[in-house]
Amino acid sequence: MTTTETSPNPTVTAPARKGNPWLPTLHGTFLVTRIELLRRRPSTKGWIFYGILLAAILGLGILVSVLSTAEKTSTPLELVLVLVLGAGMLIGPSLSATSINGDSGEGVLAPLQMTHLTAGDLAVGKLLSSWFVAFAVLVTTTPFLVYAYARSGWHLGELLLVLVVILFLVLTATAVGLAWSAIAARAVASVSLAHLTTGVLVIGTLVLFAFTAPLVSDTMTETDRYVAWDELSDEQSTALEDAYNTGDFSAVDPDALVCDEETYEYGIAHTERTAWMVLINPLVVIEEVSPLVNPLTFEEDGRAAPGIFANVHQMVSSARIGPTEADAQMMEYDECADIATMASGDDESADGGNAYQDTWEQQQEEQAMYPRTPWLGLGLQVLLLVGAMAIVTHRLRVPYRTLRTGTRVA
Amino acid sequence: MTILEEAPPITAAIQATGVARAFGSVQAVQDATLTVERGKVTALIGPNGCGKTTLMLMLAGLLRPDAGEIRVAGADPRTDSAAVRAAIGWMPDQLGSWDNLSCLQTLTLVGQSYRIPAAQARAKGLSLLRKVHLEEFADRPTRVLSRGQKQRLSLARALVHDPAVLLLDEPANGLDPRSRVELRQYVREIAAEGRAVLVSSHVLAELDEMVDDAVFMSKGRTLGDDAARMVAHARTRYRVWSLDVDALRRALTDASVPFEEAEGGAMVSIADEAHAQQALAWLVGAGVPVHRFGPAGSALEQTYMAMEEDRR
Ligand SMILES: Nc1ncnc2c1ncn2[C@@H]1O[C@H](COP(=O)(O)OP(=O)(O)O)[C@@H](O)[C@H]1O
Ligand SMILES: [Mg+2]
Repeated sequence: MTTTETSPNPTVTAPARKGNPWLPTLHGTFLVTRIELLRRRPSTKGWIFYGILLAAILGLGILVSVLSTAEKTSTPLELVLVLVLGAGMLIGPSLSATSINGDSGEGVLAPLQMTHLTAGDLAVGKLLSSWFVAFAVLVTTTPFLVYAYARSGWHLGELLLVLVVILFLVLTATAVGLAWSAIAARAVASVSLAHLTTGVLVIGTLVLFAFTAPLVSDTMTETDRYVAWDELSDEQSTALEDAYNTGDFSAVDPDALVCDEETYEYGIAHTERTAWMVLINPLVVIEEVSPLVNPLTFEEDGRAAPGIFANVHQMVSSARIGPTEADAQMMEYDECADIATMASGDDESADGGNAYQDTWEQQQEEQAMYPRTPWLGLGLQVLLLVGAMAIVTHRLRVPYRTLRTGTRVA
Repeated sequence: MTILEEAPPITAAIQATGVARAFGSVQAVQDATLTVERGKVTALIGPNGCGKTTLMLMLAGLLRPDAGEIRVAGADPRTDSAAVRAAIGWMPDQLGSWDNLSCLQTLTLVGQSYRIPAAQARAKGLSLLRKVHLEEFADRPTRVLSRGQKQRLSLARALVHDPAVLLLDEPANGLDPRSRVELRQYVREIAAEGRAVLVSSHVLAELDEMVDDAVFMSKGRTLGDDAARMVAHARTRYRVWSLDVDALRRALTDASVPFEEAEGGAMVSIADEAHAQQALAWLVGAGVPVHRFGPAGSALEQTYMAMEEDRR
């Protein structure tokens, strides 16, 4: 105040600049972020909304902790993580998707473009400011996160990694929203398009995966063998019936049995060819960076029983592996061979079941421990982020060659 | 001020030649040529939709011209927009402000956007707010401002970095009479500091007293020398009112001064103010009962009305 009192027209020193720079600068990005965050300072209504949101999250947390037993479980943690991702992917794009066309409509964009702020400064600053708000959601969930983590059987590093990936996914979704806002003239359009993009990634990929399964299906022929009851002599039928009832096959002569073969066709989906559709799903990306849980040895490993993420990982892995020899073998049914095994007395009647059980367990373990691949999904996200920011920066550069259709500069 | 000392006396602050720009099929600006001198206020006059705003956007470096050459403070907005932005203060015709931020915050942040250190930007912002009589609103959010107050904030925002060239797009819109007079004085002060000012407006009577040069625009074209001649001619027209109209006309006829008849008196052509003073003295000396004597309305308005171009 005092300085201005003494000098009625203070001189300012704005450094001269040259050229037509567009790359983001540290000073400019920071300034734009600050301006945007100041503008977004919540009103009373906003604070009430945040209050309700926080209460809902805490309430859910308390509910889950009351309902759950004391043993280790990763479900609450997985719930929070999904919640944070979901909230972030809704809030970030909602804010960014009105940030450019909205400002332009309000007449506050062009005056900033007339300053020394570059297109990159505006783009990155707007991206970061919307993203920080989503970050704030993460911060509000911290109390529950700490509790959920404590009993999840996860290691701290694993949790931090997943959190970093979540923040990155939210950043990308926010950038995509910003790009739509740079392209579309109207806020309604850009907000819908932003959420549509998220929807395509989260739900669309799964739907597409399901609907493309018939396209990658092969027809397999399979031969089952059954005992031909009609052609057995009375003694044979009685002996076999008794054997099935008692479990004692010693009275049956397997070589004398007449067997029927039945061949039929079935389709198997080569999901290994379409698994990439699932792998680009953000929820799957999150799951693919969370720790593996061995369904057989999780207790010795100090883990909780396989939760949602572990189960999803198993399903995703099974899709990635595709149909296997073991699958085909498990499909095949040979009654006569089973009878022969049992009649030879090598093993009890449970033997066939045991073999089946072992294969199944092995398969479960193989799928559960199948190496994680978040790379495809993360790669796509990097592409989306870079592409979206390139679009935004390009559209913010002045002098404008073309305008968003139906808009004025000012 | 520094700008005056550094300014090479001859080069124009803005020089535009043959500038054109179309939006799809609409040819907003077809052929605009204008020069804005340092230390002078130049008016850009034309009917609604004739392309004034579009031309200003191109001068400011926000819109790329399809054709033509533009130099602002010696720099080309296409290739050296940073230099142009440093030199130009732009007051848009659209009023926008950051609702949640206070007036002082707004000016400080815009100043910082020009890389002015925060403390300096704040001091400058305060002095500008005082200048445009918004100091009571310094700490109030801009959403409470009325239209005229926003207009003044917008003017202050255009000046935070001491620009050498000022583009004002319809600055008098929404201002009350007192604010208009103040704006006029302020714009003259700014020009007196050696800055170049380009004002677009359709409140012609106001411009008359404020501007040194006028550029007329119609259907996307600037009307060059013709319009200038018309303004020059209109400037020389004086109207004399006499209690005795016949005595006035007789005196003029006797002295073989060409005149047009007008209600309650006559219209005469007088080169400048010194001649006007002599003419008045002569008339009074000749016993003509003159009760009013002055320029015949707004020269710009006369020219504007004489232009046979339509609004779009
Ligand atoms: N972004 C735009 N898209 C399409 N037409 C435009 C755009 N901006 C201006 N125009 C048209 O160009 C002409 C000149 O507009 P403008 O420069 O705003 O006129 P003025 O400021 O003189 O009133 C008008 O006919 C207007 O409709
Ligand atoms: Mg206009």
